[in-house]
Amino acid sequence: MIRIDGNLVSPGPGGVYNERMAKGYRVWDPYRSKLSALCMLDPKIDLTADMRVLYLGAANGTTVSHVADYVDVVYAVEFAPRPLRDLLAVSEKRKNIVPIAGDATRPDRYAPFVEMVDLLYQDVAQPDQAGILIKHIPFLKAGGTAILMLKTRSVDIRQTPEAVFAETITRLTDSGLRVVTSCWLEPYHHDHAAIVCVVDPAGMS
Amino acid sequence: MEYWFGSIDGSGVCRPADGGAPELLARVRSLATDMRVFHPLTEEVIEGCGIFSDRREYIRRLREVTILHSREVIADAAQEKDAELLQMVRMLDQMDEVINLLTERLVEWYQVTDPSFSSKSRKGAGRRILPRITKSRSPPLRGVAREIEELGEARKRLATEVSRRAGGVIPNMSELVGGLVAARIMARAGGLTSLARMPGSSVQVLGAEAALFSHIRQGSPSPKHGLIFQHRRVHNAPREVRGQVARILAGKLAIAARIDFYRGSLDPDFVADAQARIDAAAGGVQ
Repeated sequence: MIRIDGNLVSPGPGGVYNERMAKGYRVWDPYRSKLSALCMLDPKIDLTADMRVLYLGAANGTTVSHVADYVDVVYAVEFAPRPLRDLLAVSEKRKNIVPIAGDATRPDRYAPFVEMVDLLYQDVAQPDQAGILIKHIPFLKAGGTAILMLKTRSVDIRQTPEAVFAETITRLTDSGLRVVTSCWLEPYHHDHAAIVCVVDPAGMS
Repeated sequence: MEYWFGSIDGSGVCRPADGGAPELLARVRSLATDMRVFHPLTEEVIEGCGIFSDRREYIRRLREVTILHSREVIADAAQEKDAELLQMVRMLDQMDEVINLLTERLVEWYQVTDPSFSSKSRKGAGRRILPRITKSRSPPLRGVAREIEELGEARKRLATEVSRRAGGVIPNMSELVGGLVAARIMARAGGLTSLARMPGSSVQVLGAEAALFSHIRQGSPSPKHGLIFQHRRVHNAPREVRGQVARILAGKLAIAARIDFYRGSLDPDFVADAQARIDAAAGGVQ
């Protein structure tokens, strides 16, 4: 990944969402994008040119556009019609984004479109975020990585963020994933955690 | 195994589906994929099929189908009959806010030009002194005051239109609480689809989210009513029964929303029964 003066950037034509440019690169603001925040906090996270990515919760396509600057192809799933419009506009310029109108809780509806991926990235505001990730394990290549951006507030506001976090980790582990790293996205985002996991061959039945 | 471009049988023989993007999309929509046995596409499978000259071509063709699908989803959402009403209600509430803000600022300005005027002695709300300000000696002040009056007129017309349309889109709810309040409740729920799936207890506290969450988190008293407080039978009810009226009304509204969503026509018998039940509760203690 490319960094300029301590800022994360991505190569590609600018003007997607009035992002700042630095030496011809698009600045990827960690305060706006959770994936950028994770990359700032954990330098081991990398996006490479041969990667295929399944992106759940693509929203307006701002983070998607940065991911697309780095990787081979992004399958971008979004449910709500309003942000889907913006996602389509972003996909016009970036031919390696495959926009998919779909509900991440029902992968069977769009499974015929999606291929096996190296990275599964999930950022959805839903109560059952662990369940959604688990449903998408079949799309992960052997050795692939899954990144869950856990919005603890969407899961259950009656529980503390820490309790939601611990419960999510347990559920992922029980489903055959091995958690590589996990961290809170402070100071960039509050009550949001990132959980990076891989499919654990030993844990699969 | 069925994929977007065709099917592949157990021995790896690939049969492409006929047609262009619209036909392929219709086919994908008709598929019932069982995730327990589904094998997602791999590079080897795609290449093995030999339908696509290269990976670029594959992605290009795939995008044709998924983009077409996305456009259809967007068009369908915009066509739903509550979509415009929703925007109108939000605009109406925003206009209220803006008009109040501007009027407040205008009164401050007017005070400077008219030493005999005091905002303490003024009668009624800010909007009632607007006519007086339009006769002010200061031409720029008069101009702005007239614009705000115009905005008020536009707001009034919009409110009338909202009530009228609500009568068509959500007839049963409108009959129960009036078009304006019914439309506001629908807008707060995010549309008729989500409102029709909401329990009455949620309808009761729509618009009182801050109080509701502070109740859940800190155990402060639960809110008795949100937006439905705007309905006269709730705010006119004696304090002791107000919560009860709100609860009963919310329950009936939830039913009305479902009739409106699934049937779409006015049900006079339901409305008459519901009105009687709410009136009985509202007049219960007197």
